This record gives sequence, structure tokens and C-alpha cells, in this order.
Amino acid sequence: MKSTSIKMIALAMGLFLLQSCNKDDDNNPLPPQPEQLDFSGTFVQQDQMGRPGIATVFPTTAEEENMFNVTIPSEMGANFQSLFEAKLNGLHAAFGVEYENNLLGLDAATLTTVLASDVLQVAPDGPTIYYGGPDAILTGRGLTDDVIDISLILLFGGADGARFNGENGTPELVSDNVDASGENPQTNFPYVERPN
Amino acid sequence: MKNFKFKLLTAGIALSGLVVLIAADHLEAPAVGATTADITDLYAFEGANPDNTVFVVSVQSSLAPAGNNISFDEDVMIEINIDNDGDLIEDRVIQAVPRGDNMYFFGPGTPSNTGLNSTVLDPDSRTSVQISGIGDEFTTTDNSGISYFAGLRDDPFFFDFSQFNQVVQGPTVAPNGFNNPGTNDFANQNVLSVVVEVPNSLLGGTFAHPAGTGVQVFNVWAEAKRKQ
Repeated sequence: MKSTSIKMIALAMGLFLLQSCNKDDDNNPLPPQPEQLDFSGTFVQQDQMGRPGIATVFPTTAEEENMFNVTIPSEMGANFQSLFEAKLNGLHAAFGVEYENNLLGLDAATLTTVLASDVLQVAPDGPTIYYGGPDAILTGRGLTDDVIDISLILLFGGADGARFNGENGTPELVSDNVDASGENPQTNFPYVERPN
Repeated sequence: MKNFKFKLLTAGIALSGLVVLIAADHLEAPAVGATTADITDLYAFEGANPDNTVFVVSVQSSLAPAGNNISFDEDVMIEINIDNDGDLIEDRVIQAVPRGDNMYFFGPGTPSNTGLNSTVLDPDSRTSVQISGIGDEFTTTDNSGISYFAGLRDDPFFFDFSQFNQVVQGPTVAPNGFNNPGTNDFANQNVLSVVVEVPNSLLGGTFAHPAGTGVQVFNVWAEAKRKQ
């Protein structure tokens, strides 16, 4: 590969010199020809993902899950918000309670409206925060963000985030009690940890 | 992995509609789960150089530790979609398609058409990086300052997926909810990852965060597309 890169650089430099020497020449030299590989054809969507968990949180039947993966983001809200809201309410009903507005003050309809459009907001000119309080939310997703606990808190945690925290006779629903302690991402490119 | 799927099926049948399944995106849908086009995760974060943004897309869930002969599928394109104006339609894409020992990257560029079907941006305008295996770490940085990686990596995701599948069956199955401590079912599992670090100047415009925080953002999502 290095050899290829060097050749490409050499070719590019040669081309530059040629072009410089023939500014007024309409017969442009041929550009360097990359290795012939076939990238033709149409690639058709099979799977998609924005925020962690969404495609597996709410669509639950096989048909819903498959459909969600081939619904473009701009059409997700219209097609899935009401389904998501029904699922959120249904899960609370299974535990004998109603959904309570979450830490962000979002009611079930608003929360599921946000979640139904499954894209990840990313702030290019600021720090990456998955959740850092109501005023510091969703500017990307880092390798060690505890997205499961954040999701559980926003879904089941109620106004103070501590509803169903395992105390006072409630089941623990706001944390899976697994953190990033076993993960060791690298500080520089390519960041992701070497394989096991 | 099969064990996970079995539990998912069991839970799904038991609850018929009340099940809530949370994994990042691992094995989430019957049509794509456990195929070479199964996206497991998307990460997007500020680079070590804050003028850059890093995108990580992983595919093929819960690969066994070292020794397995796993490879990217030459018929599957991994596409990073960027929406610069908040209309939830991609304005720029970065595409990755493997050939032989290398992953070939195209973009960021404007797609000829948006939505479910894609063609390679410009087959002759590309950068490649050798695909990394167990002990390797090949990277490439091109003249525009974009860095590329593709290969086998530890799965960064952590989650007590097994207990979750108990919890969603309700109080009669998991009266106490999650365990403490929980078990990370993704520990010591591998995935196939594509990593691209891109100067922000190449990523296009931003818009005000829909949550009203005033932060300027773009939208990102990942797609896996199979050649027809």
C-alpha cells in the first residue's frame, strides 16, 4: 500500500509539473488511472442506526423491526411515533404504573416523538456529550458513554431519574449496573480497542 | 449469539408486544440480525484534535475472540449519512466498501440520490486502508486530513442484555429488576469496525439542536446496504 501511495504521489507530482508546463495547452494529459476495481451497482438498505437502542427498544414484532430498518429518517416520525408511545405506556402498565414525565420534562408523546426519528445529533464544534443534564444533551456519542443507563433513566426514571431505582420496594429499572470499567479505548486514532 | 437470539424470541413470544428490547443495535431485526449487514453500533465524537469529528460504525455482532476468520462482506456498503440542515435527509455521505485485503472509502460527498438505494459516489475518487486483523493496526491519512481504519476490534458496547431480557418479562419473572452488579454480556466480544476521522471543515453546515439547547449540530446515522 505504501508503495501504491508513493506511486500515486509521484504520478500526481508528475501531473502537476505537466500541467504547469502546458498551461495554454488544451490537450490535458490523462489523469492517473487507479487500480481497476468494480464498485458498480446499486446498494440497497438492510439496516440503519442513529441513537443506540432505538431500533431495538420500540419496534418489537419482526415486521416492525424489519420495517423500521428500511424507513428513511424523515418518515420515521409519521410511521412509528404512535407505536413507540403505545409500547412505552404498555411497559409501564406491565409494572402497574403510568409513565411519569422524565428528567427532561418530556411527556410520553413528546419523548417518543424525539426518539422516533432515529438520528444522532453531533456538535462538531463542542465537546461530545450523550447526556449531561437538561442543558447538555446529545452532542454525539463517545466510546464509553453509558447509553443504556441514560436510556433507562429517561424511559423509566420519572421526574427525578430515580423512579424504579431498586429502593423502597421498587425493582431496579434505571440501571443495568454495568459500566465502562472494562473498556479501554485508545486516546488516538483509531480509538477503538484492539480485538480480543 | 444464538443464545441471545433464542432468549429474544422467547421473550417476544411471552410478551407479544410488551417487550422492550435494548441493545445498541445488535441483532435487532430478523431480516438483518446475524448477517454481514447487521450494524451493531454507531459512535460519533470529537477527535483528539478538536477540529475533527470521529465516526465509528461496527457490524456483525458478538464475534468470538481471536482466532475466528471473520471478514467484511464485499457486497455490503457501510454508509455514514450526514444531514446538515435538520430535514432528516442526508446531504453528505461517507461510504466504505471492501475489496480483497483493503477497505475503500468514498466521500464525504453529495449522494446522487438519497434514501434506501445508493451507488458509489465516484469510483475513481477513493482512499483505501488495509483491513486490520487480530494483531494488526493499519491506518491511512489522506491529503485532505481524513484518517481511515477498518478491521477487527473489541466491541465497546457494555450491557447486561441477559438480565434485560428477564426484566422485560415483568415483575413475575424479574421482581427486583436488574442485578447489582450486572454482567456485561459484550465483554471480550469482537466486532468489525470502520473508523473515519474527518476535519470538521469537510462535514458541511450545522443547525440549532432540536432540543433547544442552542448548540449547533448536524444529524448522523449509519446504514448497511447490500449490492443487488
